[in-house]
Amino acid sequence: MTLALRLRSGWAKRSRQEQLVYRLLLPVFVPLFFVATLPFLIAVYESLTSSSGAFVGLANFERALGNPALYTSLRQTAIYGLVVLPTEILLGLGIALLVHRTVSSPGVRAAIYIAAMVPIVIPQIAVGVVFRLVFAPDYGILNILLGSTGHEQILWLSTPALAMLSVATVDIWQWTPFVYLVLFAGLQAVPQETVEAAQVDGAGPWTQFRHIELVYLRPLLLLVLFFRLADVLRVFDAVYVLTGGGPGTTTEFLSLYLYRVGFRFSDLPQASALAVVVMAGMLLFYNAISRFLPAERA
Amino acid sequence: MRRRGILVRAMTYTALAAVFVFFGFPLLYLVSTSLKPRPELFVAVPTVLPRLPSLDAYAGVLFERGFAGLLLNSIVVGLAATTLAIVLAFAVTYPITRLPASRRTRTFVLDWALSLRFLPPIAVVVPYFTIVRAMGLYNQLPALIIVYTIFNLPLAIWMLKGFLQEIPLEVEEAAMSDGASRWQAFRMVLLPLSRTAILSAGVVVFAFDWAEFLFAFILTATPQAMTFPVGVQGLVTQFEIIWNDMAAGGVIAIAVPLMLMLVARRYVITGLTFGVIREK
Repeated sequence: MTLALRLRSGWAKRSRQEQLVYRLLLPVFVPLFFVATLPFLIAVYESLTSSSGAFVGLANFERALGNPALYTSLRQTAIYGLVVLPTEILLGLGIALLVHRTVSSPGVRAAIYIAAMVPIVIPQIAVGVVFRLVFAPDYGILNILLGSTGHEQILWLSTPALAMLSVATVDIWQWTPFVYLVLFAGLQAVPQETVEAAQVDGAGPWTQFRHIELVYLRPLLLLVLFFRLADVLRVFDAVYVLTGGGPGTTTEFLSLYLYRVGFRFSDLPQASALAVVVMAGMLLFYNAISRFLPAERA
Repeated sequence: MRRRGILVRAMTYTALAAVFVFFGFPLLYLVSTSLKPRPELFVAVPTVLPRLPSLDAYAGVLFERGFAGLLLNSIVVGLAATTLAIVLAFAVTYPITRLPASRRTRTFVLDWALSLRFLPPIAVVVPYFTIVRAMGLYNQLPALIIVYTIFNLPLAIWMLKGFLQEIPLEVEEAAMSDGASRWQAFRMVLLPLSRTAILSAGVVVFAFDWAEFLFAFILTATPQAMTFPVGVQGLVTQFEIIWNDMAAGGVIAIAVPLMLMLVARRYVITGLTFGVIREK
């Protein structure tokens, strides 16, 4: 009773415009919030029941977390991220600096801008098609090149030691241009006067980078890392069509592992337990790192 | 000094050329393979360019394999889900950008949307699979439309928020002080001014819907509801790959977002970074 009263007086104190905010927002946002949260609730429910619907407590979580294959997939995902993220960022940064410092023609810059956009907008499945044509035995570009120099064929996607490197190359091919575009845009925003003043004071290219450009790029580097990290954790399509997670489990990253448990082995209770763990983990992870994002958010 | 400048320039362009070959050659080989007639696939050393270019592979994929139907599914799902996402995103962004919403409310909505971007689709698809089957929507286009709408909503919200913030509040206020209701000000002033916003957010969201694979792969089973990427996946993973068909499928899958990108190129990066990077 008192609570209701207090709520009502709080509501009355708001201006009509403020009231309108909630009158417009809530009817749309609350159902959306519910619909987006529903999968999580369903997953929690399913993770506590067996496939016949009986309540089994935490048994599914025990099976999910006790499965060594989970840790293999986490390790492979980590290796993948550790190969892909630094390479993309260094390569993208290098090309961005190169173009920024030496290409002055607006036409060439615009052409590079458009070209860099191409890999980014290619659907993941089509990226799989492209790299089938690169890595395949007999018909693949790489093996044709090897053949013309008299080498034997290499099975890029089905040799355990090479499969990880091959799928990492695919990721680097697709996403380095994204890093480039973001960082290049950042370099454009560095004030020219600051750079010139530093040059007058005798700053070399390295000093100029380290003490001026890097300062401006730092928030963007974090941003790139944020989005690329989210992508590494969800990588699926291209790897699925190229290696299917193999050979063995060498490229079975988190999403591919979850797919195998849920839809190859049709063990939906265990997959639900994994899904709950992954969703909860991602939200914690998101909360931990989102505060480092550029403050463009409100 | 001058000499050194030329040398640096030559090295730069050599490096850039190498970069272009690394990124461009695979795409060239894709297009060229899609144009090869079947006999050219079986020569001892495959050529880079087709000797007798033909469109056989495209006809084969679209009509003999029936991918034209999948293409239609992709377009229907994409258009419906994009429209829904933009309408809902507008309904969410309008109050938090055009009205005096508290900072907390605004941050809550935007943070919520951004956090959805972090969810791996595979974790969500497990419960979606259950829901969709329980609702009798398995292997039906409406299931994909609903799921795509929800999944790309965060992107739409962030893109629209960026655009709406830049339209001065005064334009609506002026209309309202001239006697227009808030609804009229929205419909006759803000909506026309948001045309670019709607179009570019729509294009980017449609491209995402078009490219989506995992949900479609798990929530559909037959060509009745399969989307184009699911069909292409079949061409890549089958035991004996027909190179030209696979490549033609790939080219079609790429062509649609590529054309859209040329229309909305100023907004692609904006979309991918949730509006943080703004091209001027």
